[in-house]
Parts: sequence; structure tokens; C-alpha cells
Amino acid sequence: MKRSCWVAILTDVHLWVPVVVLILGTALLMTLR
Amino acid sequence: MSQSVIAARSTISLHKLGVFCGLSAAVWLGSAEAPTKLVNAGFSPFIISMGMVMGAFVARWTVPTLLKGTGFLFNDLREKPHLIVWALLAGMLWAVANTLTIFGVRNVGLAIAFPLWNTNSLVGLFWGCLLFKELRGSKAKNWAKVVGGAAAIVSGAAVLAVATAQQNAGTPGKAATGIIAALGAGVLLGTMYIPYRKAYISGMNPLSFVTIFTFGELGTVTLLTAINCGGASQVLVQLHLARTMLFWPFVGGFCWVIGDLFQQYAAKYIGIGRGIPLSNTNQLWGLAWGALVFGEFVGLAMGGRLLILAGSTIMIAGALSISMAEPPPSEMENWDAAMHRECDRYELDRENVAAVVGGNDPLADNKHPRRWWEVLIMLAATGIFVWLAVGTRTQHLHLNFPWMMVLVVGTIVPLGLCGTLLWRRTRFS
Repeated sequence: MKRSCWVAILTDVHLWVPVVVLILGTALLMTLR
Repeated sequence: MSQSVIAARSTISLHKLGVFCGLSAAVWLGSAEAPTKLVNAGFSPFIISMGMVMGAFVARWTVPTLLKGTGFLFNDLREKPHLIVWALLAGMLWAVANTLTIFGVRNVGLAIAFPLWNTNSLVGLFWGCLLFKELRGSKAKNWAKVVGGAAAIVSGAAVLAVATAQQNAGTPGKAATGIIAALGAGVLLGTMYIPYRKAYISGMNPLSFVTIFTFGELGTVTLLTAINCGGASQVLVQLHLARTMLFWPFVGGFCWVIGDLFQQYAAKYIGIGRGIPLSNTNQLWGLAWGALVFGEFVGLAMGGRLLILAGSTIMIAGALSISMAEPPPSEMENWDAAMHRECDRYELDRENVAAVVGGNDPLADNKHPRRWWEVLIMLAATGIFVWLAVGTRTQHLHLNFPWMMVLVVGTIVPLGLCGTLLWRRTRFS
């Protein structure tokens, strides 16, 4: 992929919303087990 | 694409097609629960879950490979490589959410946990509206139909769960943990639909998305199972011990892949706000299998039976409400705006993406040469199922065969009907 594509990905709110939820979910899972 | 080719296609509206896909998804996702009910030998839920995910991973390379070959798949991924990130992310979100549901059920029982994680359709509705402009520009009547319908489906799920899960009261003293786990699963599953919708307003094919999704799903589930079962070697030992029952979770995984493909098409053609609540009526089908085939509710009191009737009616009413909420042109303008945002951001061809999003993929009618390795992959995938079936030990369960036949036919009929509709209208684009 081109560098501009990576920049577009990394600055996309559609990426960070699921990523943050995934991190929080994983943290929750690790706390509960 | 030439006008004659378009004219040869079915003219069914995309809304109707999406509704049929959502309902077919519910049938197959509900049926995916049935094979796991055959496992009653006290295996770890993590191993059963992993067996199902492995089954889904392998099943992707059976029937779905007949629809679109690897040439089409690679071409699709090459055109939109950025979406690989989102497909992997969606698989990872599903894996973490599914593990959280296991903790939820273990600690508070299915009656409380299920409705909590079933709120995922409301979370998906929220993200669809906020990030993809779904429902924006629609009249209050349409909002009421969709939001009310989704809320009715969640409420119906709550009533059904209370009525059917009285036998599983959960672990005393761990209620708060279980509730947090189930709610967390709901948020994760609802957020998983962001990648779904993003892929489809960019013109990706659901088969391409599901392929990458299964990699993210299997990788994360393997990691989580290893952590929860005490290491990779322990997972291998437990899988070996579970060899005689693994066929059933694999069959569940097969049903799940078919159901998820229909869910993906629903998300593509009617959005996540409408599509996901419809596919979440899968609980009705899981219930039908449990009640009619496995005789799970033989001793259920009249009050419980009435609750089941009420919950099912509420759920069906919710699905009907959403089915009748076709997006008006003013809402479609907002859908287009969301699509143009993707095209501009990732330098996609607007005209081409608009055609694919509208179910008219210009390349769908072209002949894509099949590769020799596709036959090998399909044989290997089918061989794994056959190998597992041969070594499966008979499960001593009482089954109602006449009802099982009815439900098997009831599962296959939507596959044939909706598959035909998808082919005639979109050529599986």
C-alpha cells in the first residue's frame, strides 16, 4: 500500500473507534479472568 | 456494464433483498447453535468455541468458494487493500466479544447475559447513524419504525431469555462481573459492525470481507483460548481429547459462515441499523431447535410457555417494523455522502463503487478464470469435515426426528430462495 493510504487509514476515525473498543474489551477480559 | 446485462437481472428492490438476507441470516445463525447442543460431555466452553471458529475458517473454503473464486477475491482485495485492516479488526472484536459472553453466561446465566449482549443491535444502530449517516434525512415515522423495531427485538430477546434459561442461574456472588462482561460483549459486537458497513460503502464483496475476517477471528480465538486454558500445548491436548465431538462445533461453524454471509449482504444493502436487528432474531430459531428437536422445555410451566409466546411475538413485530422502513431518497442522499467520503479518502473510483453498492458490480458478469488450486482447497476443506465426521462418537441425546427434518428443510429453503434472489439481482456482488 502507498504511504498516503497508510496515512488515510491511521487518521480515520472509523479505525480508532473500533481499536479503542477492542483495547478496552481486551483489558476487561483480562481483568475478569 | 451493458444495458442488456442489467435488464437480464431481477428488479427486486435492494431494501427487500436486504430484508430477506437479514431474515435468512437469522435462520442460519440460529441453526448454528443446534450442533453445539449435541456436545454434552463437559468440554471447556473455550474449546467448543474454538472448534466452532475453526469450523467457520474451514467452511469458508467449501460452498462459498463456488460463488466467487480466488481470482475475484485477490482482485477485490487488491483494489481496496486498506479494508484488510478493518476485516481483521472485525474478526478480533468478534473473538473478544464471544469470550466475554462465555464469562457472562457463566456468572449470571443466560437469562440476564443474553439480553445484555443482544443490545449490540442498538449499539450498531448508534454507530450507523453517527458514522455512516444511516437514518439521517428520514422522517420521524421511519426513525420510529427502525429504533422501535430494534428495541422490540432486544425486548423480545430479554423475555425469551428469562423464559428459557431458568435452569441456568449462574454463579452466586459474581453477578456484577457477569453483567459487565455481557454488556462489554454487546458494545464490542455492536462496534464490530463499523468495519462491516465501512467495507460495503467502499464496494467490497462480502465474500472477500468474510475471508479476512476469519483470519482475525481464528488468530485471536486461538490466542485467547491458549491464555484461558493454560498455554498452547494445553489447547492441543484438549483439542485431541475433544476429537470425537469436534465435528459438531465444525458443523455449527459451517452454519455460522452461511449466516454471517447473509448478515454481510444485509449490512450492505440495508445498512447496519436495519440489517443487524433483523439478523438478531436468530434467537427464535435457536429456540425452535431447543424446544422442538431437543425437547428442552418439556417440563416448562404454562407461565413460561406464555412468556415464550409473548417474547416471540414482540420479536416478530420488531422485525416487521424494520422490514417496512425502506429508506426514502432523502436518506439515500446521506448514504451516498458516506460512500463519497470513502471514495475521496481512499482514492476509489466513485462510479465503480456506486455501481457495486447498488448491486450492479460491473465485473460480476465477467467470467473469472478458476485456478487449479481452488479444487485442492475445496477438497481439503471438505475432507476435514468428512474426517471429523468419520471419527465422531454417537451422542446419546433424545432427538425429535420429524421436527428436525422440518427445521432442516426450513433452514435450507431460505438458503435456496435468498441465494437465488442474490444471484438474480446482484450476481453475489
